Amino acid sequence: MALEQLSDVVQRCQAIQDDNYTTEDYSVFQIAGRTCLEDGESAQVLSIVLDEENKNIVRCMGWNLLGPLVQILLKKEDNNLPHCLATLTHLLEVCSPKELLVGLLEQVEEAHPDSIAETVILLLQPLQKVLLRLGSRKASSVGMALSTLLDQVARLPVPQTKEQEEDDVFSLCRCCSALLVFVRPFVEEAKQSRTPKEDELRTELLKFSMKSLCEPLLEVQLKDPETLAESPLRNFATEILGILSDIGESLPDLLSHSLLRRREVPGFLEEEVCYPKESLASLAYLLFVQHIAIDTFPTVFSSVFVLQCNMEYINLFLSRTEESRLQKGLDLYEKSLVRVEDNSLPVQLMELKSFFSVPQRIKGLKVLQLSIDKFDTEAKYKFFQCMLKTSHHAGVEGYIIKNIKNQIDFAFKPDKGNEWFMGAHLFPLLRQVLCLPQGPETDLLQNMDRVMESLNLLRYLLIRDKAWRNQTGIWTELYKIEDYYMKPLRTGLNMSKAHYEAELQNTKDNSKKTNAKESQTQESVCSLTVGNEKMPNMTPEMQLQVLHSALHTFDMMESVLARIEEIIEVKEKP
Amino acid sequence: MAAELTREWSDEQLKSDDLPKKDIIKFIQDNAAHSFLAEHKLMGNIKNVAKTAKKEQLIIAYNDLFESKRFLGSEPIEDVTEHVKNVKIDDKPKEVVEVVDEGPPKFFKSVLKKGDKTNFPKKGDNVSCWYTGSLEDGTVFDTNIPATARKKKQSKPLSFKVGLGRVIKGWDEGILTMSKGETAKLEIEPEWAYGKKGLPDSKIPPNAKLIFEVELVAVD
Repeated sequence: MALEQLSDVVQRCQAIQDDNYTTEDYSVFQIAGRTCLEDGESAQVLSIVLDEENKNIVRCMGWNLLGPLVQILLKKEDNNLPHCLATLTHLLEVCSPKELLVGLLEQVEEAHPDSIAETVILLLQPLQKVLLRLGSRKASSVGMALSTLLDQVARLPVPQTKEQEEDDVFSLCRCCSALLVFVRPFVEEAKQSRTPKEDELRTELLKFSMKSLCEPLLEVQLKDPETLAESPLRNFATEILGILSDIGESLPDLLSHSLLRRREVPGFLEEEVCYPKESLASLAYLLFVQHIAIDTFPTVFSSVFVLQCNMEYINLFLSRTEESRLQKGLDLYEKSLVRVEDNSLPVQLMELKSFFSVPQRIKGLKVLQLSIDKFDTEAKYKFFQCMLKTSHHAGVEGYIIKNIKNQIDFAFKPDKGNEWFMGAHLFPLLRQVLCLPQGPETDLLQNMDRVMESLNLLRYLLIRDKAWRNQTGIWTELYKIEDYYMKPLRTGLNMSKAHYEAELQNTKDNSKKTNAKESQTQESVCSLTVGNEKMPNMTPEMQLQVLHSALHTFDMMESVLARIEEIIEVKEKP
Repeated sequence: MAAELTREWSDEQLKSDDLPKKDIIKFIQDNAAHSFLAEHKLMGNIKNVAKTAKKEQLIIAYNDLFESKRFLGSEPIEDVTEHVKNVKIDDKPKEVVEVVDEGPPKFFKSVLKKGDKTNFPKKGDNVSCWYTGSLEDGTVFDTNIPATARKKKQSKPLSFKVGLGRVIKGWDEGILTMSKGETAKLEIEPEWAYGKKGLPDSKIPPNAKLIFEVELVAVD
């Protein structure tokens, strides 16, 4: 039936001149054609399509058969495959490239979620063929095709482990490799000359490379050659960076783009589209952490400049919440810092926002220390000041205070004195250290790390700095410190101890009572829920442990405080 | 050459104005040992020597020659070969520039090809270079010069803003002394290159002295 309809409409149209086919003609052709193909009559369709008499008809209407053809080819039924393939090949050659492009991309966009990879891989070669037929007008079409293809490939799950990459169950690796083959002739063309037409093509390829750097490359965990000798993903990354070079983008210029862009005159939208920050961040990570194409990066740039460029991207990574991004930020930061000499980063760099905000976000102490080590003395000073002001985290503050102590210790050494950790500037910093944010009401347990380090610092200063030399000025300022720090601390300690001792007694009494009553329910101070699971109430034993531990902490603080008072007393004796 | 020579002129003759300086010079140059000539500053073009040497000096030299008997051929052979050794046989005209900046020099430049000596880059200018970098042992660790001439047409030289600390200090300081078109060899001490750290995971070891051949192609 359908075959007859098809033959009829074709017959009728043969007589029509100048391609004046009606909408009805198109419609019948398409529907009849589709039905024939679906019914398995692909051989007949092929012969109709190949018929010289039908040349014009096929040229105008043939592309409408793309849909059904592709669906059949995806099913991979042996019977119809050769005829459908031949039909497709013929259509690709005779139909209008623009129309074919639309038809093919439609198929890509509408790919069934389970057959994304198959569809993409099937259609890459046809797409390439069609695009190459477009001649010098191909640039925007190439761009469109690449964008559509990447959108689909981005939907595929990304292998995370070596085994997953090897197995490639969802065919992401196959798609990436196929994409490289697809894009190669366009890259070669863009490489050749410098005409404006080639510029358009280069822009499209730039957009493609940038997009790839985000999806999928930002998600992948590349394995190094020792772990995985043949890695399609690593290959993909290398090739993408290669394409950037081929189209005339220099890696150093790209890297410094975010840093320097502010000073250049941007065409806003153009900039964002062509040089998205996230893509550049991905590039920096691939280059400096995974060493992809690092041998093409000129070995003339200063390590401090490279660090500066990367700070923008580190900042970006660290401002995200996903663990994988945070880790990338940390890795990039560490790799960049390691190239820089200790004590070399000047304070002017701190004026760059990222130099300041990045270390604040570092959760790992090892990398935090690494960054501190790289700052020069003045920069360290400023950094410590700012961290103490903004951190609000007792553990970090404690760590900073320990660093301050180390710097002061260092400054005591002969020839190492400096105005920041020894001279006029030291006291304002110490004032920040030796303070209780809420006076005597400060929660000493919560601030334990900070308080202990502060006390250690104070004790250290009083021992190390002889009263008669008073290099740090501590002895002159001591009366103030006693007033605003030591006294409130003493008060706070007394209050806390009293409170906890009372709690301790309470709990002991309670548990005795409970044991006597043999009651199941306990009085709990608070309940704790972790991950939607309510934690079991603390047993009396645990409660006692916590209280003892608190009291122990207070004892520690008190002993250092007492020691400090002792030192003062001894030194002040005539 | 005879070991002994006879005096041609008496003292009176020497002092006389009739005896031109250049005759005396010629005699001494023809007959004195090389080291003698060197000591008395009588080497080189006779006209030039005549300009710089006073008659009295020449008379003294003449007499000295006969006193010391340091005639040509009387000095050992080493004398001559020493002289030859000191003569540098070099095609390339060399200018050696040592740069001192707050302490001992941290790089050393030799000009391989002169530039236009007019267009010198200033801090902040954009410069473009072809370069090849090697370690002291000769290993080439980086270059932006493609292998074939054809590829060189397609490639671009390295472009950056000079004098702003974006490149290693040896480059920043070195390139500021170059003019457009110049090719120079920059030997950079590690302090002005990658220092104690070198470039971890890369071809630059710690404390590496780097040698770059740089051609300054453009200055904007």
